[in-house]
Amino acid sequence: MKIPGRKKLIPPVIIQTLKTHPVIIVLITLFMMFSSLYPERFLTPLNFSTILKQFVTLTLFALGPSIVVVTGSLDLSYVGIWMLGGILVWLLMPILGMFSILVIPLLGLATGFLIGVIQVKAKIPSFILTLSLLVTYSGLTATLSGGYPRPVRGYEFITARLIRYLPTAFLWSIPIIIAAVFIIKRTRIGTYLYAIGSNEEGARLAGINVDKYKILAFTLSGLFTGIGSIILFQHLGGATPVELNLNNLVWPLVAIVLGGTPLIGGSGGPQRTILGALTFTVFYRGLLLSLLHPQAIQLLVGLLLIVSIVVGTRGLKGVTIT
Amino acid sequence: MEVKLVEVKGVSKTFNGVVRALDEVSIAIRQNEIVGVVGENGAGKSTLMKILVGVFPPDKGEWYYRGRKIPFPQNPKEATKRGISIVYQEKGVIPCLKVYQFLLLGNEDSYVKISGLHLDKMKKHAREILEEFHVKCDVENFMYELPLSTQKMVEIARAILSVRLEHEDNNITSVIILDEPTAPLTIEERRELFSDILNMKKNASFIFVSHIIPEVMEFTDRVYVLRDGKLVAHYDLSKEKITEEDLFRAIVGRESSEYIYKPEIKRVVSEDVVLTAKNLTKNGCYYDISFDLYKGECIGIFGPAGSGKSEIINTIAGLISFEEGVLIVKGQEVKTKELPHVRLARGIGYFSGETGKELFLNWTITKNISIVNIEKILRKFVPVISFNAEKQMAEKIVQRMRIRTPGINTDCYSLSGGSKQKVSIGKWLERSPDILLLEDPTIGIDVGARKDIYETTSEMKKSGISMILVSDDPKEYSILCDKIMFIKDGRIQKVLSPEQFKKVMAT
Amino acid sequence: MRGEKMMVRLLISQEWLRRNMTTVGSIVAAIAIIAGFQVINPFFLRYQGIITLVYAMSYFLIAACGLTFVIMMGSFDFSVVSLLKLAALICVLYIDKLGLLVIPLALLICVGFGFINGLLFAKFKVPSFMATLGVSVVVEGIALYLSKGFLHIMYDETFRALAITFIAGLPSIFYWAMGVWIICTFIAICMPFGRRTYAVGGNPIGAGLSGINVERHRICVFMLSSFFAGLAGVLYMAQLGGGSMLIGKDMTIPLFASVVAGGTALTGGVGGPHRTLLGVIIITWIQAGMLMLAIGRDIQMVTFGLIALGMSIVTIDRRRIKIIK
Repeated sequence: MKIPGRKKLIPPVIIQTLKTHPVIIVLITLFMMFSSLYPERFLTPLNFSTILKQFVTLTLFALGPSIVVVTGSLDLSYVGIWMLGGILVWLLMPILGMFSILVIPLLGLATGFLIGVIQVKAKIPSFILTLSLLVTYSGLTATLSGGYPRPVRGYEFITARLIRYLPTAFLWSIPIIIAAVFIIKRTRIGTYLYAIGSNEEGARLAGINVDKYKILAFTLSGLFTGIGSIILFQHLGGATPVELNLNNLVWPLVAIVLGGTPLIGGSGGPQRTILGALTFTVFYRGLLLSLLHPQAIQLLVGLLLIVSIVVGTRGLKGVTIT
Repeated sequence: MEVKLVEVKGVSKTFNGVVRALDEVSIAIRQNEIVGVVGENGAGKSTLMKILVGVFPPDKGEWYYRGRKIPFPQNPKEATKRGISIVYQEKGVIPCLKVYQFLLLGNEDSYVKISGLHLDKMKKHAREILEEFHVKCDVENFMYELPLSTQKMVEIARAILSVRLEHEDNNITSVIILDEPTAPLTIEERRELFSDILNMKKNASFIFVSHIIPEVMEFTDRVYVLRDGKLVAHYDLSKEKITEEDLFRAIVGRESSEYIYKPEIKRVVSEDVVLTAKNLTKNGCYYDISFDLYKGECIGIFGPAGSGKSEIINTIAGLISFEEGVLIVKGQEVKTKELPHVRLARGIGYFSGETGKELFLNWTITKNISIVNIEKILRKFVPVISFNAEKQMAEKIVQRMRIRTPGINTDCYSLSGGSKQKVSIGKWLERSPDILLLEDPTIGIDVGARKDIYETTSEMKKSGISMILVSDDPKEYSILCDKIMFIKDGRIQKVLSPEQFKKVMAT
Repeated sequence: MRGEKMMVRLLISQEWLRRNMTTVGSIVAAIAIIAGFQVINPFFLRYQGIITLVYAMSYFLIAACGLTFVIMMGSFDFSVVSLLKLAALICVLYIDKLGLLVIPLALLICVGFGFINGLLFAKFKVPSFMATLGVSVVVEGIALYLSKGFLHIMYDETFRALAITFIAGLPSIFYWAMGVWIICTFIAICMPFGRRTYAVGGNPIGAGLSGINVERHRICVFMLSSFFAGLAGVLYMAQLGGGSMLIGKDMTIPLFASVVAGGTALTGGVGGPHRTLLGVIIITWIQAGMLMLAIGRDIQMVTFGLIALGMSIVTIDRRRIKIIK
C-alpha cells in the first residue's frame, strides 16, 4: 500500500479516510455540482444556514439509532420518543414549569431500556419491536393531545439567534454528536458493541455479557434521542406534532445507510452517520433549489435509499437475509 | 519437564441420567508439551473440554494443579484463574474488530481512563505480545484482513494473554485447549499454524483436540484416545513407535460388533458412466480430483477430517463451486457454479446425516417426503396436489423404512435422530435420483437404525442408483462401497477395493 | 398395550393442539370480540353494520392474502399499501383516457414493482423490509406526482359496478374477496407453488436441495403479493368512488397484524391465507367496534401495534433462531 521513499501529493491519511468513507466523495461531488449549477442560490449564507438546520434535525434523530445499528439491531422508536416527549412536556408544563423539558430524555432513557430488555429477554426482532413501539407512541401522542398540535412556550432560548446564519441548535448539537462518537470509538462500551454486531456468538464466547450490552445500546439510543429531542422540540417549531410523518422515519435511516454503516452491524456508527446526514441534506437542498417537482424529489429520495442500501449490502457473505 | 501442570482423574459425566458422556477419564498435561485428545464424534472430547474450562462441573472426578488438589472451575473465569483457556473451533473470531481490540477483548480494565480507552498503550502492549508469540501482523489491521491461520494465532495469543492477566503473572504457564483448530484452514495454512504453535511451546502447553490423525501424530508429544466416553489408550509418541493405523484402530475399536451384519451388496455394476470428474480443483480444498462413477456403483471418498472429502461431495451437490477441472453428469458438462436445484434437475440428490440441513423440521413426515416428489403426487390433468397420493406415499415409506413414529403427521422435530435420518433417506428412496450423494449418513444414530439405512442404500444401489459416500466411519465404506478412494491433503492417494480396504484397516 | 394406545392418542392430541393452538386461539378471540361488542351495543350486528364491515374487510382481505405469501416465506413486504394506493390512483386518473384498460395497466405496474422487490431481495440480497421500504417510498413519490395531491372522483359507472353491485344482499367486492381468499388458500395448500413457499420459508438451503429454485420463487412470491395489492387497490377505488393520497393511510400495521394474528409466523414456514381470513376478521371487527365506541384513531393504532407485537411474540418459532437481532 504505502511505498516508502515516494513523495506523495496527498497525505496517505486522507486517502485512507476517503477509502473507508466513500460518502465523502459523494458529498464533495454533490457540493461541486450544485455550486456550479446554481451558484446564486446554493452558495448563499441563507442556504448554508438552512442546510445546517436540516442537518441538525436529521442528525439528532439518527444518532441514537446509529448506536444500535452497530450491534446489528434496528431502533425505529426515535420519532415516537420525540412525539410523545413533546406532548408530555405540554402536559407537565403547568406542574413542573421549565423543568418539564427534562421529561423527554427521561422518556427516551426509559423507552430505550424497555426496548432493550424486551428484545433480549423475549427475543423479538428489534425491527418489529421498535416499529410497534413507534406506532403505539404515536397513537398515545394523538390521544393525549386530543388530535391538535399543542404549542409550548418558554423554550425559545434554545434556538435564539446567537451568531448570524449559524443555527443555535447546531451549536447545541455539537456536544451531543461528540459524546456519541466518543462513546462508540473510544470507550470499552463501543468496542463491545462492535464485537456484538460483528459476531454475537463470538462475543459471548469471549466473555462479554452480550445481554447487558445490548440493553445498554438501546438505552443509550433512547437517551441520545431524548436529549436530542430537547433541541428538536424547539427547533422544529415548539408545537407538538400529531401526524406520523414517514419522512421523519425514513430520512434518518437514509442518513445512516448513506454514511456507510451496514445494517448488520460491526462497523460504522455515529461518526459515519453525520457524514451521511450532511450528504443527504446537501442532496435534498440542492434538489429543492433546482425547482424540480416536489413529487419528483420524493421519488429521488426513495431511489437514493434503495441505491445506498444495495451498494451497502453488496459484499456481505454468509449473512441470512429475510 | 516432568512437572504435571494440570491433572484430572476419574472424571465422569452423565447427562439426563442416561447418556454416559464420560466414564472415569484421567488425563494430565505437563509443562511445555502438546497433548492430543482424539476420538470420534460423540466420544466425549468436547464434554471433557467443557468441564476443563468450567462450562459445567463433572459428576465425579478430581483436579490437581501442580500436584495440589483443588475444586473444579465453576465458570470460564475460574478456569482462566486455574490457567486454562480455550480457543474454539469456529465463531471465536470477531471479524470487524482491529487486532489490538480483539487481542485485549474482555481485558481492557487496565486501559480504562476517564477520557476513554488508552489506545496507544493498548496498541503498544498488543505489539509486544504479538512479537513474543511471533505473530506477523499489524495491530491496526482488522481481523478479517488477516489470513485464517494468522487469525487463529491471534486467538491463541489472546487465550494465553487472558490467563496471564488473570494471574497478573507473566511467567505462569497457561494450558491452552485448541478445539479442532485446523478445520477451517487450507492445507498450506495448517503447516504455518503448526510451526507457529511449536514456537509457542515455551510459553504454554497445549491440548490439541482433533480427529485429524496425521496432524496429531506429527505435532503432539502424547496422545489420549477417547471412545464412547472411556479413555481407551494413551500413547507417548516420543517414547513409543506408533503408526497412524494404531491410532486409527484405537479410535475406531477393533472389536466392533457392527461388522456382523453384511447386507449382500451386489457388486454388479454396469458399463454406463453417470458421472465423470476430471481434474477438479478448488484451491485450498482439493486438487486434481478425477474419477468415473458407473451406474449402480458406490464410490467412497475416504480420508481424515480436513482432507477435502467433504468439500468434494458438497461441490458435486452444488453447495460449493469448483474452480478448475471438468464435471460431466450424464453426458453433460456442468457449470462450475450451479445451485443445488439445478444439480437435482440433472439427477444428483444430496443426503446429509446432519438432518437440520435438508429436512424441514417443523413439517410433518408426509410433507418432507413429498416435497422432493411433488411430480408424483399431482393429479392427472391439473397441477394440484392429491392428498391421497401424498398420504399413501408417506405411509409406504414409513412402513418400508420402519420409522418409529405415532403417525405420518408427526412433526419431524419430535422424531429421534435415527428416525429423522430414515425420513430423509426414505424420501430419496422414493425419488430415485440417478446419483445420490451421502454425507455422514449414519452419524450419531443407534445400531438398529443404522442397519435399516444400510439395507435401504443397498436396495437403492440394486435398482441402479449410483452413490458417492463420505463418512467418518470406516466400516460403512467396506459395507457399502464398490471402490474406495483414499484422499489426503486434497489429493487422491490410492484407490482400493473393499477387501483391500478392510485389510488396511485391520492391520 | 392399552396404556400405550392411550399414550399415543394423548401424544397425537397434544401435538394437534400445539400445532393448531394459534388457530384455536384466534377463533376463540374472534368469538369473544364479536360477543363482547354485541353486548356493549346490541345493534352491532344489524344489517347496516354488517355491510360496513364487509366493505371494510373485503379489500383488506385481498391485500392481506398476498402479503401472507411473503410472510410465509419468511420475508417482509412493506410496499403493499403503497402499491394499493398507486393502483387505485392510476385507475381514477386514467379511466377517461383508457377506459377499463386501466385495470390491467395498474395490475401490470404493481407486478412490475413486485418484480423489483423480488430482484432486490433475491439477487442483490437486500433485506426484504429495506428493499420494500425503499420501493414503497418510490411508489409514494410516483403516486404523489401523478395525483398532484388532489382528490379525484371516479365517475365511470362500469368500473364502480365491479365492487358495488349487490348480489344476494352483499356487494360484489365481497365475492371478489372471497374468491381471492379461496384461490390463495388453494394455492397455498394444494399446489406445489404453495409448498415451495413454505419450504423456502422453513429452510432455504433445504429448499434448494429439494430442487426448488429459491431465487426465482422469491421473485414470484413478491410479484404475487404486489399483484394482490394492486387488485385490492383497483377494487377499493371501485368501492370508494374516489380517492387521493390518503388512500391506505394507517393501513400498514393493521394489515401486518391481521396476517400475524391469523397465525402466520414471521419466521416463515407456517400459517397461510386460510389463517389470514381469521386475522382479517379479528382486526376489522376490532376496528369497527372501536369506531362504534368512538375510540380515537390513535388508540386504534396503539391497539394494533400491540396486537402485532403480541402475535409476533407468540408465533415466532424460537426453535429455529438462535440469534435474534
